Order: sequence, then C-alpha cells, then structure tokens
Amino acid sequence: MNTLIKLEIARTLRNKKFMFFSVIYPAGLYLMIAGGASTTEIVQGTGLTLPLLMMVSMASFGAITAVLVGNSERIAKEREKGWVRQLRLTALPGRGYVTAKVASAAVVSLPSILVVFLVAVLVKDVRMGAAWQWFALVGAIWAGSIVFAALGVAVGYLATGDAVRPITMIIYFALSMLGGLWMPTTTFPTWLQKVAEWTPTYAYAGLGRSIEQANAPEMKHVALLAVYLLVFAGMAAWLYRKDTRKS
Amino acid sequence: MVDMTTTAVTYTGDGRRTGAPVVSFENVSKSYGAVRAVADLDLQLYPGETVALLGPNGAGKSSTLDLLLGLRNPDAGRVELFGTSPQQAIAQGKVGAMLQSGGLMEDVTVREIVKLGCDLHPRRYPVDQVLAAADLTEIADRQVNKLSGGQEQRVRFALATAGANELIVLDEPTTGMDVSARQAFWGVMREQAKAGRAILFATHYLEEADAIADRVIVLHRGRVLADGSAAEIKAKAGARRIVFDLDGHIGEAALRELPFLASLEISGRTVRIQSHDADATVHAVYGLGLYPRNLEVAGLGLEQAFIAITDAATAEEAAL
Repeated sequence: MNTLIKLEIARTLRNKKFMFFSVIYPAGLYLMIAGGASTTEIVQGTGLTLPLLMMVSMASFGAITAVLVGNSERIAKEREKGWVRQLRLTALPGRGYVTAKVASAAVVSLPSILVVFLVAVLVKDVRMGAAWQWFALVGAIWAGSIVFAALGVAVGYLATGDAVRPITMIIYFALSMLGGLWMPTTTFPTWLQKVAEWTPTYAYAGLGRSIEQANAPEMKHVALLAVYLLVFAGMAAWLYRKDTRKS
Repeated sequence: MVDMTTTAVTYTGDGRRTGAPVVSFENVSKSYGAVRAVADLDLQLYPGETVALLGPNGAGKSSTLDLLLGLRNPDAGRVELFGTSPQQAIAQGKVGAMLQSGGLMEDVTVREIVKLGCDLHPRRYPVDQVLAAADLTEIADRQVNKLSGGQEQRVRFALATAGANELIVLDEPTTGMDVSARQAFWGVMREQAKAGRAILFATHYLEEADAIADRVIVLHRGRVLADGSAAEIKAKAGARRIVFDLDGHIGEAALRELPFLASLEISGRTVRIQSHDADATVHAVYGLGLYPRNLEVAGLGLEQAFIAITDAATAEEAAL
C-alpha cells in the first residue's frame, strides 16, 4: 500500500502541466478578484478586508479544484483503461486505493494554497495578527481539502468517460457557490442560507474564516467536515470494490 | 510456433483430480439483460492442472474468467477458489491473473509498476527475479506508456506472477507477442505448472491449447460442451479427414451416398471428406470403381475438432 501511495505521488509530481495549472490558477484568480480592492476597507459583517477574505476563499477554491476535478477525471480514465481492474486482482484493499488517490491529491493542493498566500502577502500586503494564524490556516485548508479529494474519488467511480467532466463541474460549481466561496451566503434567500450551512464547502470556508478572525474553529464545522470525509471515503472504497462494470 | 514435442505436463486422467478443487463453479449463471453469458456452469479445476478454455466469440469465456476472479458476481450458483470466495483468495495472494481488459498505470516505468505488483503481493518474489522471468530487465526503465503491445503483455504477465500464486489465470496471454516471446512465455508457464500450480488460460490459438494444456474445456453459449484431454476432444468430434484426387468425371451424387459421411467438399479434382468411419468410407470409394490418387487419411486437428463440435451444437440448438 505504501508503494502505491509513493507511486501515485511521484507520478502526480511528474505531470508538470497539471501541476503548473493547478498551482497557478487559484493565485491568478485571486489577483483578478482582489487585485484592485482596498487593503484597508473592511467587508461588512466580517471584520476583515477583501484581500484577506478572498485569500482564504481562493486558497480553498484552488485546493478543491486541484483535488476534486483532478481526481475524478483521472480515476474515470484509469477505470476506462482497465488499470483499476488490474489493481482489483491484487491484495490491495479498497481503502488503500482511496488513500493513495487522496494522498496524491494533497501533494497538488498544498503548493496551490501556498502560492495564493504568497501572492496575497507580496502583492496585496495581507497581514494577520499572529504567526500561528498562518500555520493554522495552511493546515486547516490543506486538511479540509482531503474531504473533497475523497469526493473526487467517489465521483470518478460513479461517472464514466464523457460524463465525468460535466458531472464533476456541476458538483464543483454548486458546492463552491452554495458554500459561499465566491460570495457571502448572506446574499442568499433565507431558505437557501439554511441549506448552504450544511454543505461541506460552507464548513470548509468557515474553518478558515474563524482562524482569520483569530477565533477557535467552530466545532460544528469540524464535525461536519469529519462526517463528510467518512461518507465520501466510505463511498469511494465501496465503489472501488463494487465496480464490476466494464467501461 | 509452439514446440509440440516438449510438453512438460501430460494429462494424467481423473487420477490426478483427488485433492480439493482449486476452482469450483456450482450451477453458476450470469446474464446481461436478455443475454445469458453463463448458463448453469459446473466446473472444477485441480492443483497442477493446465487447462485451456476454448470457445467461439461470445461463448462466455471472458464472463467465466470475470466470475472466477470475483470481478463480477453470479446471478445464481456459487464460485469458490480454494474453498473460499474469489476476493478472499486474491487477498491471500493465491491467485495471479492476466486479463486482456487489464490496463496499466501511466506515467511510471516498467520497474515501478512491477515493483508495485510485488509489494502488493502477500507472498512476493524479488522484483529483479520477476522482471527477468518476464524478459523485462532490458526495458525496466522505460515508461509504461511507450511500450509495444507485446511488451505491455509481458508487463501484465509480470504482474500476474509477482508472487507465489497457486492459480494463474490468463486471458489470451500471447496476443501481440512474437514467436520467440510466445515460446519463452510458455516455457515459464511450464515451470510454474511443474511447481504444482494450476494454470487456466483462454486462447484463440488452438495449437497452443493442443501443445500446452493437459485438459481442454470447450465452452459454447455459457455451457461446457466438451471437457477432456486434447486427444479426447479430437476423438469426441468423431471424425477423420480423407483427401484424394480423382481423374476424369467426378460423380458428386455418388460420392454423397458414401457411408459415414460427415461432410463433403469438392474443389477442382480434389475431394475432401470428413467421415465418422474413415475405413468404411475409403472402402466404399473403391467399391464405386473409383481410383483415388494421393489418398490421405488423418485425424482432425484440434481446430477442426473444435469447429465440428461447436457447429454440431449450434445445429442441434437450431433444430430444437
């Protein structure tokens, strides 16, 4: 199992094109959105400036992009090629495959988070009250991205071939929007706000915001993410073992 | 082609089948929609057997192998390997398999993927040994996506033999291999068989089945049509081949009346007959006052026997 994890990480790092875009894209988006924003003006109801707020949103968004989109497409392709069939003829347990995929996704998401932070600090002069906040933020966003990596594995198993990209995109945009990664959920109608509160993306963004405001993370967010991780990873492992379709 | 003279394992008849079966199918059925791929299949394989699985396209070979390896679940009946479920047997490292539909990981080298296969095997062999046995040592550092079809087959073979399996399942293993690679491949397989492993392979090359298998199973529409040694299968087809030339007028009507005739084919001056009793048929040819030249009488090859058996089964079904 460790060999598979190492190999998955190694081949992800070798895929330079994928690495480059996954790492550069969220930082570019950050500059587009927060580039012209004031560095002192406070966004209403948050106590934070727009460049700071968007730094967390874009790092989260970028991490999700790297792990969800990358994973689901690669897995669907591997199933099509029959590599998963081959793997199922080995003693590898279902969780081994899921762990390896999640680990290789985490290798992509970490640099994409760091680059957004770096750009925010250098270009928009973003500062936080204490040094621990930076470490906590990187850790929280990185750890949280694992939830979406597991979701990516599950989607890669549910969808086949041509369908995987549109399905991933629908899930990805719906979750990003509902969770308030692009705009605050306070702009939603009340009923939608209630729904949004239960999405994994909302909990994910909430985790980062608490740290930015120098508060302890809310237990509800942490618990929600943990439950989603269990559900997605369990679903992925089950689908791996169950996948008997030839595609 | 395959060397026919040095078959390492000879068929020893039912005497060998005393131990617990390695593979056991009990009344197994599997349908895809309205198509019945496997119908009430009963099948046992025993340790040390080398078994060829033959059948025309759509006979259920691939479905049978999928069921055997637990890649699919049967609709009815039971599939057991080593007295347990296929998944369990695979997890214990008792089964190595090489599937046509099995793809390879991309963006890695041959050595990396073979090492992965070894590391995942509970009873692994050293990587270098597995690479050497599959004749991959020279291309060990090459990227998997840059291999030829035959080289890819050898990587699959390496993955199927990465550890001490007790059963090796091969689906069309030599497809894409050149003659020398094919010979080397079966050489390694014979070693495995000698070591007491059961080998099951599906093939299109009937001469491979003839030369290597000590037991041949012919599948037709998901059922076992024939099960025995290659010699027994040929005998079951129950016909011999008679070929001769005739000078002058050939009275086709008279030839059609020959006794024990299974088939008759006339092309130019050459007459080709399949007969259930070649002696009687040839005798009757002389009885017609004919003088056959270049007379040859021979048994059917496995391929012809195979065609005769499956055609007969198809005709029988059509008559029902």
